[in-house]
Amino acid sequence: MKKVAWLPASLRGGLQCAQYSQTTASSNFPRRTVFTLPKKQFSTSSSLQESIAAAPIRFTNNNAKEGEEEEDPVFNARLVPNSASYFTAQPIFTDDLLSLQNLLQRYANLPVLKPGEAPRVAWLSLADYRNIVGETVKAAKYSKIVEILHRLNHIHPSLMPREVKDVLNEYKRDVNPYQNTAKPGLVNTDGHALGAGRRKSSTARAWVVDGTGEVLVNGKTLIEAFGRIHDRESVIWALKATNRVDKYNVWARVSGGGTTGQAEALTLAVGKALLAHEPALKPALRRAGCMTRDPKRVERKKPGHVKARKMPAWVKR
Amino acid sequence: MASTNCWRCLSRPSTTLTHPSLLTLSRPSFSTSAILAAAVKKPTLAARSKGQKTLKIKKKAVVKTGKPPAAGERKAMRKRIVLSNTNALEVEGMQDLDEQMVEKLVRKKEEDLSVSFALEAAGEMEAEVVGKVVGLKGETVDSLRAVEAFKTTQGWGLFRRPGLLLREESRELSRRMVGAARGREELRLVIDGEKGSGKSLMLLHAMATAFVKGWVVLNIPEAQEVTNAMNDYAPIQGTTPTLWSQPTYTANWLGQIGKANNAVLQDLQLSMEHNLPIPIQSNISLARLCELGARDPDVAWPIFLAFWAEITARGRPPVLMCLDSLSHVLQNSLYRAPDYSQIHAHDLAIIRHFVDHLSGKAKLPNGGAVIAATSRSHAPISKSLELVIANAEEKAAHAKYMEQFTARQAQHKANYAAYLERFPAMKAERDAEIARWQQQLAIEEAELAARTAPRQFLDKKALKAMAPKPLLKPAPYAPLQQEELQLTPRDPFEKAYDARADKVLENVDVLSLKGISRAEARALMEYWAQSGVLRQRVDEESVAEKWALAGNGIVGEIQRGALWMRI
Repeated sequence: MKKVAWLPASLRGGLQCAQYSQTTASSNFPRRTVFTLPKKQFSTSSSLQESIAAAPIRFTNNNAKEGEEEEDPVFNARLVPNSASYFTAQPIFTDDLLSLQNLLQRYANLPVLKPGEAPRVAWLSLADYRNIVGETVKAAKYSKIVEILHRLNHIHPSLMPREVKDVLNEYKRDVNPYQNTAKPGLVNTDGHALGAGRRKSSTARAWVVDGTGEVLVNGKTLIEAFGRIHDRESVIWALKATNRVDKYNVWARVSGGGTTGQAEALTLAVGKALLAHEPALKPALRRAGCMTRDPKRVERKKPGHVKARKMPAWVKR
Repeated sequence: MASTNCWRCLSRPSTTLTHPSLLTLSRPSFSTSAILAAAVKKPTLAARSKGQKTLKIKKKAVVKTGKPPAAGERKAMRKRIVLSNTNALEVEGMQDLDEQMVEKLVRKKEEDLSVSFALEAAGEMEAEVVGKVVGLKGETVDSLRAVEAFKTTQGWGLFRRPGLLLREESRELSRRMVGAARGREELRLVIDGEKGSGKSLMLLHAMATAFVKGWVVLNIPEAQEVTNAMNDYAPIQGTTPTLWSQPTYTANWLGQIGKANNAVLQDLQLSMEHNLPIPIQSNISLARLCELGARDPDVAWPIFLAFWAEITARGRPPVLMCLDSLSHVLQNSLYRAPDYSQIHAHDLAIIRHFVDHLSGKAKLPNGGAVIAATSRSHAPISKSLELVIANAEEKAAHAKYMEQFTARQAQHKANYAAYLERFPAMKAERDAEIARWQQQLAIEEAELAARTAPRQFLDKKALKAMAPKPLLKPAPYAPLQQEELQLTPRDPFEKAYDARADKVLENVDVLSLKGISRAEARALMEYWAQSGVLRQRVDEESVAEKWALAGNGIVGEIQRGALWMRI
């Protein structure tokens, strides 16, 4: 094994450059190569480019024949850091920021969309960015990058240069959550809209039709299906919150779980079916709590516990 | 439990005992247990001082303060009926349920026209009475209270004075009652419906109507009290199979009947000779007869029979008999015969009397009604009753279907006639179409023949299938298929049917109560709001919400949601 001294990634890259005797220009160094480097910077593998603090001592092998003398790489160049920001604490981040600023400066004159009209994009989160660059980037610093990205995103799409597009794509999250739009409900030819809802372990389907406020749950009236008035109110809560109790009839099927679960599963189901009839009610229904599925379930029992959390009583010996 | 003391008055009872006859029943003079004989073993000192460590926590003695409630006081509190609330507001313009109102309620639409013209001439407007809350007159309230028509669960204590919603079913019931009285026949009816759908209130409406119309009303407010073996009972001599009388209950019942119908009965005098165990004057009023019966339980049953003979004699007013919680009387009672066999409820004299009239075995010569209501709270399941009600509902549904079906059938027939009329024109049109088709075909064939290469052929078979068919004669008339009435059959494996109950229920009508309509709900809620009990705006929205929450207008649930569950 040869002795190897370890250098930070950017310097190592610089060395590589020096070795291949390429000119290094701090203005247009290959930025994204940094991103593709392995995240682990220090490894014991000897296959890495070996770098040195001082030139290796070369012991002449007297015993060896002249023809067998090996060709060692010669380091004639002085060590040059890859980037000018090598001596800042976060060189990759600084380079990123500088290049983005450059880009913005170049395309600052392009026409832009009105604020808020640009397509919504989810940028890389701070944690993701830190993972990629492997530096401790502060949130406030990263927000500067995001600011520039946001501004670049507002360049009119028809005039957006390819270069900007590519850079923006690099900073986008893999999955854009804003592209995930809910499927609108359908009202069939008979005027029925189907909505589905869940709560705890209950599943409900509700068909909502124009009507006069009649409700049937599993073929039973509301009072036969639910003894508690609170539960009955839960079932028609979507209609009540939007003042539409006397405008629609509900025919529902619900199974699984207990009474509360069934009633609140129906809240969601009726809300979604109502949304198919009147999509404009969505904000009102969301405020009324008829849109969001409550993800809470029964917590599982753990070994060593009496229940999910309860521990057995302490007993002396 | 019947007792001569009033359960429902507010004062504390002065005497703790109810009736001497009950006293003898509740405290048997002998005992078969050997409680006193058994000596209590005291734990020996040795057993206690064995060194067993036990935690000894001395309990604090409960400090008793105040006078403990006397026997029967709690029950009186529980059973008391409050019919007035001085804090509630007087409802302006509430009409009373009087004879005129009943007439208005009963009047049919056809009659309406002439009467409304007459009223218009008199400067009065005819107003719809269904969907209104009417008050009960003071005398009616007294009578209803005497027959225990009001119940503790009905919330009378919230309002200034008792009021009653006239709903569509009340009109139906009133019509049938008045019609029965007119025709000197009897209405035999079972009222059924969901819990809280107003069955007992419908009975109360029937009784109030009867009192207003001057009928004689006999009410068994709770059948359970007659059959659950809480009253003294005795075999009636000379009956086979043996009938059982309940002296105390009968005496109490006679007292109630006399008190409630006093206005009618005091003007009616004895008209027959009766063979009674006690001597009575021959010219006393029927009210006095009831009083005599109420005074002595031992002669109550013979006096009741005499009373019944009197009010069913010629020229007496119609009679209304009511019973609540019907299913209690459709099974064995909790009474036992001396050989410890169970006594069927129909072998109790009072129940037998009611049931004979309900089944139509005994008649009411002056007309009247026998009405029983089912109960959904704490009532035993009667398979016989369930079957009868299910069949009645199916019949009603089928009648409704047939009404619609006849209309549809007529429409269908008319459509067919129109089709026949249109047929020649249709035929001509089709023939023209076929001609056009053939012409086109000929042209295409000629074109193909003129073409040389590549050779193509017309697919004759496909073309034939595609060609329009000629119309030869009109399609024959096919009437619409009619659905047959399908009644729920008797379950051959069910053992719980009661043969005697089946016989009784053979020919009774069933009135099924559903939820009230939106308009009726609104009227009711407005009445509550005017009484100051419901402090909330009454508009379409709030009515619709309460109506929907109450399972499509179950009136008890509307009340529960609006009055009891105020937040």
